[in-house]
Amino acid sequence: MTRILRKTLPLLALLAAVGAVQPAAAQAPCKAPSPDCIAVGDLEVSVSLGYGTRTNPVAGRDDIPLFVVPHVSYYGKRFFLESLEPGVTLYESDAHTFNLIASPGFDRVFFNRKDLQNVIVPLAAEAPPGFADVNVQAAEFPVGRRHTTYLAGPEWMFRQDNFIGQVSALYEVTGRHKGHEVRAAVSVPLIQRKQSLVVNTGLTWKSAETVNYYYGVPGLYKPDGALSPFIKLNYALPLSDRWTFTAFVHYEYLDGSIVDSPIVSDREVVTAFAGLNFKVL
Amino acid sequence: MLSVQAAALAADASRPRIELKVRPRVCTLSDEDTTCNTTVRAQWRSSRNESLCLLIVDRPQVRQCWENHQQGVYSVEISFSEDLVVELRDAELDRVLASQAVAVIRRALQLRHRRRPPWNIF
Repeated sequence: MTRILRKTLPLLALLAAVGAVQPAAAQAPCKAPSPDCIAVGDLEVSVSLGYGTRTNPVAGRDDIPLFVVPHVSYYGKRFFLESLEPGVTLYESDAHTFNLIASPGFDRVFFNRKDLQNVIVPLAAEAPPGFADVNVQAAEFPVGRRHTTYLAGPEWMFRQDNFIGQVSALYEVTGRHKGHEVRAAVSVPLIQRKQSLVVNTGLTWKSAETVNYYYGVPGLYKPDGALSPFIKLNYALPLSDRWTFTAFVHYEYLDGSIVDSPIVSDREVVTAFAGLNFKVL
Repeated sequence: MLSVQAAALAADASRPRIELKVRPRVCTLSDEDTTCNTTVRAQWRSSRNESLCLLIVDRPQVRQCWENHQQGVYSVEISFSEDLVVELRDAELDRVLASQAVAVIRRALQLRHRRRPPWNIF
């Protein structure tokens, strides 16, 4: 974990420095609708059609194809919904926002193809339901069902010029493992004209309970907490009022306590997608 | 002087009340719209015959007059971006007998910062 920290912290510091030298703009109050400013009361529905994939670090499991990616967002005065994440804003200024959010546990996507976070994959071969035996180094470990979990907790977002940071501390509230998760990320636009290129990077810390629920093997492997850094590049090119070409690549470097699990065979998770986004509403 | 004013007040008091109804009562502009384009319908009624004219403030081209009528209806298609005031005036256009307004309401566009959780796909 310290090795990951050593690698990640300089990256975060670099991005913070890059963000600090960007021309001042984003800290300005929301005065007109933009990708970062949304009208209160508006419902946005869009769907992306294209091709992408999410690699699966769980041994014996296929990568997850992405063809259709729906997206819904609604922002009321306090309440908001961003895809699968509802929340309530407790305080918002131009520089700071404090929310209470609920967010699904992400790791289930590797165990259940039908997880909503894997969106719609109609052409993909389904993973066998229930238990699947994973053959790793001549040993077989049952990879049991992981239920949908939701985490909830406070989130702090801060904006300085074009630099946006966010930190959330979440607790599993659906009663499956009662673990914790801390997510921290920064976002910096590299290009922000008609087209946009945004880089996000951050860390996800999962408590031992969370990691054990997904990657533990009873009687054989009981993992510690995990700190996994990630980086994501997001590109968008509006083609018309409704159509936008969009592409992203998300890279996550899994912590040793996940990788050391006998049911995990890869250290990296890469999610990439390119396609056309159609704004329905 | 006092007697002239008293006579005028007495004349006003004796004048029957003229009822004026205007539809729509309000026009709500969406975010993209800058003007209301609608048909305004004005209907008036009195308990006795009247000679009067219907006007729209600051729209000299709109005028409809009636001679010895107890009621009248007038519709006009019109564009406006501020409150539209419809008046009934006497035949000399000196005195306002009744007045109603079509209020323009602009939907106040309230904006807020959007969350973009980088853990999500978009």
